[in-house]
Amino acid sequence: MESLSAETWDTAICGTGLSQSLLALALSRSKKRILHLDANDFYGEHEAALSLQEADAWAQAHAGGGATHHLDNQLAEGENADEDVTSDKDKLSVAPKLSGKKSTIFRNAHVWKHPNAEAQGLSFPRAYSLALAPQIIHTKSKLLSQLVSSKAYRQVEFLAVGSFFVYSSTDAVSGTRLARIPSSREDVFSAQSIPARSKRTLMKFLKFVIDYDSDEQKPIWQGSADKPLSEFLVDHFKLDDRLRDFIIALTLTLDGKVTVRHGLTTIHRHLTSIGLFGPGFCAVYPKWGGISEIAQVGCRAGAVGGSTYMLDTPASIDEAGNGGDISIKLSDEVSIRTTTLISSQQIRSTTSQSISRLVAVVNSPLQPLFGVLAEGAPLPAVTVVAFPPGSLLNNTQLGSNTPVYAFVHSSETGECPSGQSVVYLTMQTIPLSSASEVLDMALTTLLQAVPATGEILYKLYYEQATSSRQSLVTSQGDATVFEFPSPSLGLAFDDESLDAVKEAWKIVMKDEALDNSFMKFEDREGMDDDDDVYD
Amino acid sequence: MASASLSDDSVPVLKILLIGPSGAGKSAYCEDQFDPESTTATIGIDFKTKKLAVRGKAYKLNIFDTAGQERFRTLSTSYYRGAHGVILVYDISNKKSFASMEKWFDEARLNANPDAVLYLVGSKLDKVGAGGRAVSFEQGKAFAEAQGAEFCEISSKTRENVKRPFVEVVDRIVQKPELIAGTPAGSKSIDFDMGNFPSNPCSC
Repeated sequence: MESLSAETWDTAICGTGLSQSLLALALSRSKKRILHLDANDFYGEHEAALSLQEADAWAQAHAGGGATHHLDNQLAEGENADEDVTSDKDKLSVAPKLSGKKSTIFRNAHVWKHPNAEAQGLSFPRAYSLALAPQIIHTKSKLLSQLVSSKAYRQVEFLAVGSFFVYSSTDAVSGTRLARIPSSREDVFSAQSIPARSKRTLMKFLKFVIDYDSDEQKPIWQGSADKPLSEFLVDHFKLDDRLRDFIIALTLTLDGKVTVRHGLTTIHRHLTSIGLFGPGFCAVYPKWGGISEIAQVGCRAGAVGGSTYMLDTPASIDEAGNGGDISIKLSDEVSIRTTTLISSQQIRSTTSQSISRLVAVVNSPLQPLFGVLAEGAPLPAVTVVAFPPGSLLNNTQLGSNTPVYAFVHSSETGECPSGQSVVYLTMQTIPLSSASEVLDMALTTLLQAVPATGEILYKLYYEQATSSRQSLVTSQGDATVFEFPSPSLGLAFDDESLDAVKEAWKIVMKDEALDNSFMKFEDREGMDDDDDVYD
Repeated sequence: MASASLSDDSVPVLKILLIGPSGAGKSAYCEDQFDPESTTATIGIDFKTKKLAVRGKAYKLNIFDTAGQERFRTLSTSYYRGAHGVILVYDISNKKSFASMEKWFDEARLNANPDAVLYLVGSKLDKVGAGGRAVSFEQGKAFAEAQGAEFCEISSKTRENVKRPFVEVVDRIVQKPELIAGTPAGSKSIDFDMGNFPSNPCSC
């Protein structure tokens, strides 16, 4: 431990969420001296993937309502808390929460386990890897191009996201309650669930979205850019309710009130992502727990580049600028000095939306949901099921005006043993009511709609909000403190969070930051080195 | 990317991890380099590729080093993904190093594929001559047997036995067809090298 204090670090990074870990990757070829810490004893922070044992402990730690946490960041940290409080009032108010343990991003977490879970097939805790951030990544995402240009993608296994289904309780046309959304021309033509006349209107709309931003198409929608997309679809394209539900479902928006501008952008991203890396799929998902895996690979790259890693190490700002450094106290009474400090915001913003998530382990592979989408397409490991507003039976009193999305993961994701699946359900948290009941209902409805029988073995429920959406940059003497915003609540990965990574990278690199070198690396030496041939 | 000689699909690729406490000589072993003056943590090596023939069949080994993440025991679960074999390395001149091996075996069992082959290596065999041995061969052997692992002692400096652990690990791996069948990069995962990224992907 002593050697940690012996030098002044160029940067201390607190937390191993995706943003901090991508920063570690971005800095991995610099000569900067980097100490990377996490208060948790696992990687990934808000985007971790948890074994059942870890999920139980995590739920316990985030069981509370998290309402009044404004001053507890350092008070709870250790015996010297009084010193901190009296030393500098202003400093306390800006002092970042450096670690995940006092976060108010998550709350109201609880777990449920089937009374005979083991007899029903629940395996050992480490056989599961439940993702706190089960976001899909569109193939057009800048995250993927950065992982490729930095060569980090070699350590991540990406799986295909397959069908998008929409649930309907009325099953008017096809007799099936889960209708697959057609998303290509061929798809639309071959779809049996859509009458011929609707096919024409749908094709017209899809054609429009492909170049919606062109000078030719802009006049069609710009006047109603901030109006609800659902009205626009009916007024301009005469889509029927069913097709409207299809299109709205593709936006993956949680309030059902997506605007024309935002909706067209996301549908355009969806459609233009299809086929980029192979036929049939628009998005990918990292095996073994999604974003968490990318975070770990980023940290590994940091370690290969010489950074020092410590988990299970809460940290707090000890004293402000003394000759340009910040002193950071680690939990074991060791302090270190650094010229920049990077962390993530841990406090939910008062204006933040809240979402409710239910993660469920089911003892069925739910095979019918994982059909191959096109000839030569990879077998999908993730399927999306949308429950449009009002589609769940008997839940008028529970807030039927918000959609529910279910991401179903097969065991190919490595998140559960084979023969089982993990279902991630998300909806907006509804005030004065129970989102958890609605999610439970959606889960039961889903299992009934799939022609396969499955029991629920384990459930993790929690609510998630966000910090302020801006990065916070503060100066302490010559030293800089940078705080990433918490992860977005979107169901698809949002490229905007990558801008903050680059911003932080520039702060650490200072005048060595050459724009065109960001995240662009050659393979490490040792790769493909075939000099060592043992007979 | 891959040079032609190695992109031959008929050569199976095996992922081998080296784990163990800091200073056990994992990197010297991994890199085939021996610098007695160097005590710094390994920097800049992600993994090393070796070709190896066992029973007349060629294999390509991707050998991963801990990259210093063993120091505070922060190896990530992703490090263990898809590993076919784990070589656990201790320093025979250091009792503490040997004493830590039980924890390393536990960690390997917890995180690696349950079928992965574990192998114990006592390193720095060259120190015996100067009376530097602190852990006997029999101690190492007995411990390995108790863990169900094979064992040998090596010296990266004199090259004694350096090849043997790899040969024996591969030999054990190939006797487990279920382990090879679960090799990553199967038909389900997506090959980005085939994708059509724009040549200048980061326009920011």
